[in-house]
Amino acid sequence: MRRVTLHNLSWFFCFFCLLTAAACQKRPPPRAPSPAPSRSGDITRDQSAGPLPTVTLTASPSSIERGDQTTLSWTTTDTMSLLIDSGIGNVADNGSLVVSPRESTTFTATASGSGGEATASTRVTVVPRSARGIMTSTDLDGLQQAVEEGKIQPLFFDYDQAGISADGERVLKENARWFQQFPDATIVIEGHCDERGTEEYNLALGDRRAQATKAYLVQLGVPAYRMETISFGEERPFAPGYDETAYRLNRRAHFMVTR
Amino acid sequence: MNRKILTLCLVCLPSLLKAQTPDVVIYPRPREDTKLAVVDFVARTSDTQEVQAALRTFDQVLWDDLEFSAFFEMPSKSFYPLKPLRSPTDVNFDNWQVPTLDVDFLIFGNLQVDRGFAVVEAYLYDVRTREQVLGKRYTVSDDTLIQRMAHEFADQVVFQLSAGTSRGVARAQIAFSSLKGRSKEIYVMDYDGANQRTITANGGLNKFPQWSSDNSKLTFITNLPRSSRWELWIQDLDGGRRVLPLPTSYVASPSFSPDGKQLAFAAREVNGSDSGIYIADLDGGRLRNLSNHRAIDSSPTWSPTGRQIAFISDRSGSPQLWVMDTDGSNLQRLVQEGGHCDSPDWSPDGRFITYSWQPSGQWNHQIYVIEVATGRIFQVSSGRGSSENPHWSPDGRHIAFQSTRTGSKQIFVMNADGKNLKQVTAYGVNESPAWAGYVVTEPQE
Repeated sequence: MRRVTLHNLSWFFCFFCLLTAAACQKRPPPRAPSPAPSRSGDITRDQSAGPLPTVTLTASPSSIERGDQTTLSWTTTDTMSLLIDSGIGNVADNGSLVVSPRESTTFTATASGSGGEATASTRVTVVPRSARGIMTSTDLDGLQQAVEEGKIQPLFFDYDQAGISADGERVLKENARWFQQFPDATIVIEGHCDERGTEEYNLALGDRRAQATKAYLVQLGVPAYRMETISFGEERPFAPGYDETAYRLNRRAHFMVTR
Repeated sequence: MNRKILTLCLVCLPSLLKAQTPDVVIYPRPREDTKLAVVDFVARTSDTQEVQAALRTFDQVLWDDLEFSAFFEMPSKSFYPLKPLRSPTDVNFDNWQVPTLDVDFLIFGNLQVDRGFAVVEAYLYDVRTREQVLGKRYTVSDDTLIQRMAHEFADQVVFQLSAGTSRGVARAQIAFSSLKGRSKEIYVMDYDGANQRTITANGGLNKFPQWSSDNSKLTFITNLPRSSRWELWIQDLDGGRRVLPLPTSYVASPSFSPDGKQLAFAAREVNGSDSGIYIADLDGGRLRNLSNHRAIDSSPTWSPTGRQIAFISDRSGSPQLWVMDTDGSNLQRLVQEGGHCDSPDWSPDGRFITYSWQPSGQWNHQIYVIEVATGRIFQVSSGRGSSENPHWSPDGRHIAFQSTRTGSKQIFVMNADGKNLKQVTAYGVNESPAWAGYVVTEPQE
């Protein structure tokens, strides 16, 4: 069985290519005329053509929790090409596909044949997870890998400040794209300070930095419930040393992925 | 007018630091300096190596305790008569009143180690009246407790000779936070750095310990390994512990109310973006926010009456020292000098607050004391490095604090006027000392 995460664009692209290639190689053979009416869907009739195609589309189960999977199955007759929308594309005349839509989605299959076009629709209802913290390992591992590969950048702050700089905004916009690509991973935002100043104030300042970072990501569309914050004050310096070069690197908000 | 001059002085301080010695004596002193001689104790019976080692420990600890108490003038032992004093009958008082010595009080005694038991007989004599002030006999089952015997006797002497002004600080322990590898654990030690023992061993970060008023509990904050939140812990010294339930991942600086029934602490306001001051019962009940303000409010400390809270707020732009009543009313800013203030601690008699302050344009903190009623400010630490997290001794005559003056963060103690500085930790990174207070015993019915 193949699994598809709809928001994973690269996956998608591969899928699309495969299916397109398959469709190109396998021309549907001419079919015997069939008087059977379509069992579902809208029908348009081309006067000069053969029998109308028929198509059915079902999702099982039709209601899932976010992150879970459902199987789309379809059958057709008198069809030369079959297209399923919502980003799936051309598929074989008969088949099934495992999908994991992020939001409730209505899938529509459009069958085209010499006799005309038929469509069938089915709705997959996606409900939020009942218990937080359970997530698909795909997203968790994917984001973890992005963190490890240095694709999720920390952002840096001015001395005694928690405001997001223009540079910081750029970093957060880039990070937000990654976070949205792996929508089921929970992110921990760590607020850090340089060693100047007192421990108590720095712990509060680090918290303010983490909160400011979270608020900005919420504005960018990352849901608040996906983000935890913690301040480490001056406990976990990134760079050793007692000069501005080190201090600048230590005044930061740092991103981690958690289970 | 006074205030203005002081402000001026404070502004000039950085350039004056080298020449400056604080001329203000904050603690009550005896009417005149009491001159005290502390004669080396002697072996009562067998003079074995074991006894000699015990004697060296006892003599050193007793001398250091009495010297640190800052009540006495203690002439050098080289001026003492050579004759050992084992018991009161050995004393020739005339020898102690010669002009080079002329002491007011005399301490001597003997020590014996017998089948694991150490026994000390200790005497305090008034040289002028030739009367015994104290005669004590201590027996301990283990010669590792010899330091404790010395502390005990030192505190008795201080209590007697200060006319009850102080009960001594030698037995009052200091809790602190200590970095071991990557974890920071809570420790307790004698005030002179001896007998360190662990209170936590959870492998996480444990910070800002404070004692309960009966010294049976410590409260501090904990970040367990792989956790993304700070927790407020209440740890019984005999093992049990409680975690205060809080709906926020940031909590800091908890401290027990003087009656031991409530905690004040800093925590992020629910749905807020900043630290605020909270008070709650020990089970987390009756949680209330005292500082609903868009600013960092942190580092609360109770007044000894339990009616006021001193805290730090950056609502005026930079972190400054403020006080308010425990219902949030009567808010006033105590320090007007700018720069960064933090870590206030209210003196046991309520007159003073000690805190750390970093003047504008500087990167290091020093320890300061402000007289609450008058607003007079005294600088009590100086020199290299950053000195932070001051905490009063139980008698209000000393301050423990951390400083980077020797490189890494270490714990120091000093008189409340900055004299008599003593480093008490030397290894690792040690911070946030909290000196246990005196336990107020309820009158028996």
